[in-house]
Amino acid sequence: MNDRAHKDDNYAVETTNLTKKFGDLRAVDELNLNIERGIIYGFLGPNGAGKTTTIKLLCGTLNPTSGGARVLGRDISDGVEELIGYMPQETALYLNLTIHQNVKLFGELFGLDNTTIVEREEKLLRLIDLQDWKDTLVEDLSGGMKHRASLACSLIHEPKVLFLDEPTVGVDPDLRASFWDYFLGLKNQGTTLLITTHYMDEARNCDTIGMLDRGDLIAEGAYSDHLEATGTDSLEEAFLKHTKGEKV
Amino acid sequence: MSLKRSFAVVKKIFHDLKNDKRSLAFMFIAPIFAMVVFGLAFSGSVQNADLIVVNNDSLTGIPAAEMGPDEPIAEVIINRLEEDKTVRVKKLENAVKARNSVESGESYGAIVFEENFTRDVFKNVRGAGNGTTNLDFYLDQSNQEVAAAVTRTIQSALSSVMEEAGRKPPVQINRISVYAEEAKFIDFFVPGIIAFVVYLLATVLTLVTFVGERTSGTLDRLLATPLREGEVVTGYAVAFGVIGVIQAALLLVIAVLVFNITIVGNVFLAFGVTALLAIVCQSLGILLSSFARRESQAVQFIPFFVLPAFLLSGIFWPLEAVPSWLRPVSYLIPVSYVVKANRAVMLKGWGIGMIWPHILALSAFMTGFLAITTVMLKRRE
Repeated sequence: MNDRAHKDDNYAVETTNLTKKFGDLRAVDELNLNIERGIIYGFLGPNGAGKTTTIKLLCGTLNPTSGGARVLGRDISDGVEELIGYMPQETALYLNLTIHQNVKLFGELFGLDNTTIVEREEKLLRLIDLQDWKDTLVEDLSGGMKHRASLACSLIHEPKVLFLDEPTVGVDPDLRASFWDYFLGLKNQGTTLLITTHYMDEARNCDTIGMLDRGDLIAEGAYSDHLEATGTDSLEEAFLKHTKGEKV
Repeated sequence: MSLKRSFAVVKKIFHDLKNDKRSLAFMFIAPIFAMVVFGLAFSGSVQNADLIVVNNDSLTGIPAAEMGPDEPIAEVIINRLEEDKTVRVKKLENAVKARNSVESGESYGAIVFEENFTRDVFKNVRGAGNGTTNLDFYLDQSNQEVAAAVTRTIQSALSSVMEEAGRKPPVQINRISVYAEEAKFIDFFVPGIIAFVVYLLATVLTLVTFVGERTSGTLDRLLATPLREGEVVTGYAVAFGVIGVIQAALLLVIAVLVFNITIVGNVFLAFGVTALLAIVCQSLGILLSSFARRESQAVQFIPFFVLPAFLLSGIFWPLEAVPSWLRPVSYLIPVSYVVKANRAVMLKGWGIGMIWPHILALSAFMTGFLAITTVMLKRRE
């Protein structure tokens, strides 16, 4: 069964017939995904398409029903936590802790020493413009600020592969632009990013866009490829055409 | 297993509580509140506890030629008891009535002097009898303090009567345990109240905290770090063990300062036992959290773990008073062992050498629960 061993090790993420069933529902259905290292991969699809489930499987917070996956060549069943950063869709922070306490907790869980945590935290908070709120309880922050604090917690250990589940939902346009600047910066440093999004215009920033519907990858390619292949001039139309095509 | 990562979890729990004034207040005010309410409900000093005496004894039947007392021994003992402020002596004519009175909770104990009690005692003193004379003592076991006081009084009365003869009193006191429906002395309840309050608060607090971890997504986030399931559980166990001890101490302080209870044993041993319970409870809280999708659902579990412990773990009456067919259930409730152990330590001054079976049972519960919780967290369905 193991033809995976000689698969291209250049992939940051590769899944083999990855499947997750919840009862009768196949949330992720024999998904085969190959994400090259050092790119931004966008996951596009309606609610319930299986984007979040796929990310949870890759992060190991859910176990697959069948199939498997590798992150940077390591099988996820062997534990890939040190390699990855995960920003869940929800805020997923301790509301009764300050930003600093949250960031420090996750830093410590990744085994970072105090000096490193302080150094990186300062840099991160400056970047997401939260340095003045460091000692504020997360509960008292606005939605957008919580989101940014959440991002900081996912980045404190400088992961090689970053899974971001709807990182820009509820974030105002200015800030969204700065998030993307930051993501591009990370990519330039060699980080691989897998980002799910609802915003079609954001997807343009991705090197590769995978369209997911009912747990299955229905189309994959660069922005322009999608438009070309479907003869449309927006991702939205392209997506609709793809899903229609599949139904026929 | 990294203790450093577990410690990060411990710190998180304490930061969380420190910054959440409402939960913090709940943690500290709830035990105080509970002790005050229980205390007021059950307080009452051990004075004038009703004691029934059935006296069928007389000097008849003792041949004048034999050595004998001037008055029946029972009479002497009763006089002594009447002088003792702990009890208030009431006389009844027969043993059945006496026993009923104890069972219904009207009185705390009953002693029954048989006919010829004095004669038998002296027969035994002379070595002519069968060795000992029996004295039936119906005792409401839920009032250990009265029991002890009454036993003491009877024994001292016996000895003083016997001193004249220069012998040890050849009387065997048969303690017959009776459990009244209603008991009134707080000393007996305090160990049970401590166990129960810690059980309730630790379970509810972990349950709610952990449902929060699940719904807010922080659990997912924790599990996506190198933190292992066992380390999460260890962190929670340490934190809630400490919190359990703090709460037990707080309960005890109120009990001592406000309600003047007396503790004869080693309080720290009782704290240790209570900490074990708190660790069992945090595991129970985590386990239950997996059956709830929201805090509001979690709250619905409370009656199911509170009521059996409240009624069947020996807080208000000893396990022996629980119907025998229900007793196995009592032994499945960890609180039962804590109540027994703490009561033995605090009221009787027993040491670890005597309460180790309870500690062993609790440790078994703890190990089992921690293991199940860890395994359950590993199932990521």
